[in-house]
Amino acid sequence: MPRVERPATPEACADALRACAEDRRSVRVRGGGTKDHLGTRRETDVMLETAGLDGIIDHVPADLTVTVRAGMSFAALRDALAKHGQFLPLDPPHVARGATVGGIIATNSNGFGRYRYGSVRDLLLGVRVALPDGTIARAGGRVVKNVAGYDLNKLFIGSFGTLGVVVEATFKILPVPPVAKAASATFTTPGDAFGAADALVRTSLRPTAIVVERTEDRRWRLAIAAAGEAAPVDRAMAELGRLAAARGASTEAIGDPEAALGPLREIVDAATGGAVVRAALPLSAQTAFAEAAVRVDRGARIVADAASGIAHVHLRDEAGVVAAADGLLAKARVLGGSARVERTAVAGLDPFGGPEPAGAFLMRRLKEAFDPNGILEPARSALG
Amino acid sequence: MTAAPPIVRAGLRGAALASGLRDLLGSEKVLWAREDLLLYEYDGAVDIATPDAVVLPNETADVAKLARFCAEHAVPLVPRGAGTGLSGGAIPVEGGVVISFARMSRILELDVANLRAVVQPGLVNLHLSTAAAPHGLYFVPDPSSQKACTLGGNVAENSGGPHTLAYGVTTNHVTGLELVLSDGSIVRLGGKALEYDGYDLVGTFVGSEGTLGIITEITVKLTPLPEDKRTLMAAFPTMDDASNTVSAIIGAGIVPSAMEMMDQLSTQAVEASVGAGYPLDAGGILLVEVDGVRDGLDDLLERIEVICRAAHAQELRVATTALERDKLWAGRKGAFAAMGRLASDYYVQDGVIPRTKLPQVLRHVIDVGERYGLRIANVFHAGDGNLHPLIMFDGSKGPAEVERVKEAGREILEMCIQVGGSITGEHGVGMEKTCYMPLQYSPVDMAVMHRVKDAFDPLGLANPGKIFPTPGRCKEFSLNAAR
Repeated sequence: MPRVERPATPEACADALRACAEDRRSVRVRGGGTKDHLGTRRETDVMLETAGLDGIIDHVPADLTVTVRAGMSFAALRDALAKHGQFLPLDPPHVARGATVGGIIATNSNGFGRYRYGSVRDLLLGVRVALPDGTIARAGGRVVKNVAGYDLNKLFIGSFGTLGVVVEATFKILPVPPVAKAASATFTTPGDAFGAADALVRTSLRPTAIVVERTEDRRWRLAIAAAGEAAPVDRAMAELGRLAAARGASTEAIGDPEAALGPLREIVDAATGGAVVRAALPLSAQTAFAEAAVRVDRGARIVADAASGIAHVHLRDEAGVVAAADGLLAKARVLGGSARVERTAVAGLDPFGGPEPAGAFLMRRLKEAFDPNGILEPARSALG
Repeated sequence: MTAAPPIVRAGLRGAALASGLRDLLGSEKVLWAREDLLLYEYDGAVDIATPDAVVLPNETADVAKLARFCAEHAVPLVPRGAGTGLSGGAIPVEGGVVISFARMSRILELDVANLRAVVQPGLVNLHLSTAAAPHGLYFVPDPSSQKACTLGGNVAENSGGPHTLAYGVTTNHVTGLELVLSDGSIVRLGGKALEYDGYDLVGTFVGSEGTLGIITEITVKLTPLPEDKRTLMAAFPTMDDASNTVSAIIGAGIVPSAMEMMDQLSTQAVEASVGAGYPLDAGGILLVEVDGVRDGLDDLLERIEVICRAAHAQELRVATTALERDKLWAGRKGAFAAMGRLASDYYVQDGVIPRTKLPQVLRHVIDVGERYGLRIANVFHAGDGNLHPLIMFDGSKGPAEVERVKEAGREILEMCIQVGGSITGEHGVGMEKTCYMPLQYSPVDMAVMHRVKDAFDPLGLANPGKIFPTPGRCKEFSLNAAR
């Protein structure tokens, strides 16, 4: 069992990292522990928990920014902001299980709202990061525009803790919109569902979710949500009706948008067997990718953020899962996108299988510069 | 205009460099005559330095060849778009070759299906939106110089513009890059999807001001044109009233696509030159634009009008036609140029503050102007808290006057930092603000940035003398510089 360290301050976190680096002890970083399924499972010497780094540091409601310690749970932050009628417009998965702000940044964990509100990289204004040399560096700032120096926020977002440990973060936030509605339409082909989704993306309606789901009865359900003033929200719902009717489908209103979208967001947590492949695709490649998924596993469950080209495929046929997953990873690349195995219990599946990412030599130099002893998160990211 | 201190370390210069480059690339791609080089010694800021040579590549392979040559001979590489930059980013302060992208200015692909465009770095910003318009699409970032500035420059500087309040600055719209590193290697990063494996090197590169490598191709997002928009001009008795309105609008949950502010001095200059129809007796003017689907847009506008009235607006004018809207915007976009009527020279500052500090900081700007005896006009992106004080001066008074102007600018930036802001929101650090970096970042912060620099550019030849403070050049601050 790894030794657990739970620093109570950013400085203690940096000290712990330095000690590990000096002794060449490997470190896994853990926030809410909701993303243990990501990457290769390899036991480390130390489990560095961020739970001690909790709470809001600064929130000026009128400036629409908030600065928090990275171990704070997203749910707690959400509740605190809601008291001021505000929200951080990220809707990542695993929130109910305790996902933390730091973990969301480190894994670039987003939800369906990224098309409307942006993803972590669009909403994160600044971070403080504890580094293996024992220093704490600040990147970005606390204001909504800042081009002073390099934008190191981007480097740490999605770096899976391989460069340093995010200890503090500042985000742009927004007032909660007055009206939110959702509706769905079910089609027989993926082309119709993604086609209707694409038509919505090309309007200025800017829905907060445009999700295509392959249902248990193997049909294709398009769910959309919109938020804002009543008139544009109603127009979005009407537009879905028009697009559905043009494709011979009818729409259903959804009473509680969150109740409908929540399970779609949690496709990874729901997938206990088989494997979940996650792909980021050019928008127009989504139909072809969905068709390929069905070809490799006729029972595949698919949830796609069709507005952003992020598709999750749960391959449930355990017998052929390794070949099916490899085939899908390759397909995503052929289509101009990227893909990884997000979760699997099956041995022999390489989470990032396939060629190295473009620019891997630069990434290695960065890793070497930040973590020369290679202690942080071994085997967690695409760089191995 | 002031010449940069001569810290030249190019390993090959003069005739030897020129003939080497001509042999390498052909003489039609190289400028070396003194009179040609003079055209490349300045940009939109106040510093100048003459390049040793200028290269005009036709394609990525030319850039790669050039970089390999320069690596071998220790010659700095300074990429240049249209030279509209406002922080000296394209000035070859340590000598070397300026790379002009005038011949790499094509749209390589307008990928309507994927809402992407693949372009060369020399493409003029506005040309992209013009080409995309027939497909109902546009490129969001719209710097005031968008009729001239290039996408390569936009990416290097992470440029903003009036309409980035709701839809983000350049970095939010770039998904892929092709780069030539200073050792001559060609790297393709990202693509048309939103995410790729490994570190987000695209995001890390955007805004690096040419110091990490040379951009040779860019993949950007295209955005559906709004179905409709409404533009409102609101005039207030004081800048405080206008400032408070900005916070009240944002606080009400309204995120306009643009929210620009102008003070009386700016308004008067603009009226004299453009005639946008701004009231001359107003202490402050706000331009507010909302866009989206037509439904509800008028209600939204009405809510904004109510907020403006509550904050003592003395006049509200809504543009009802495209012509009227263009006229209101012509005043804002022509504001910098209009300053020529007030003074022979001006120095644009670019600081960011939390919106709620607008009244306090604007008062400080007035105070600085009074103490230095300099007229300062304010035209800026109020919704972002991104100030642009324009400090007017007479360059013919010589370098001492320019130094005094820079001092006044520094005092404004120090206040921006004091209230939790930034020394630059969209113009970049360039060579202008290297000495101010320590105001915002600790030596550790900058050392970490330098790790990134060293990973991309171990030779130190990519636009040297930019971003990082150079001890010899930053006298008045005690610096443990970057490393």
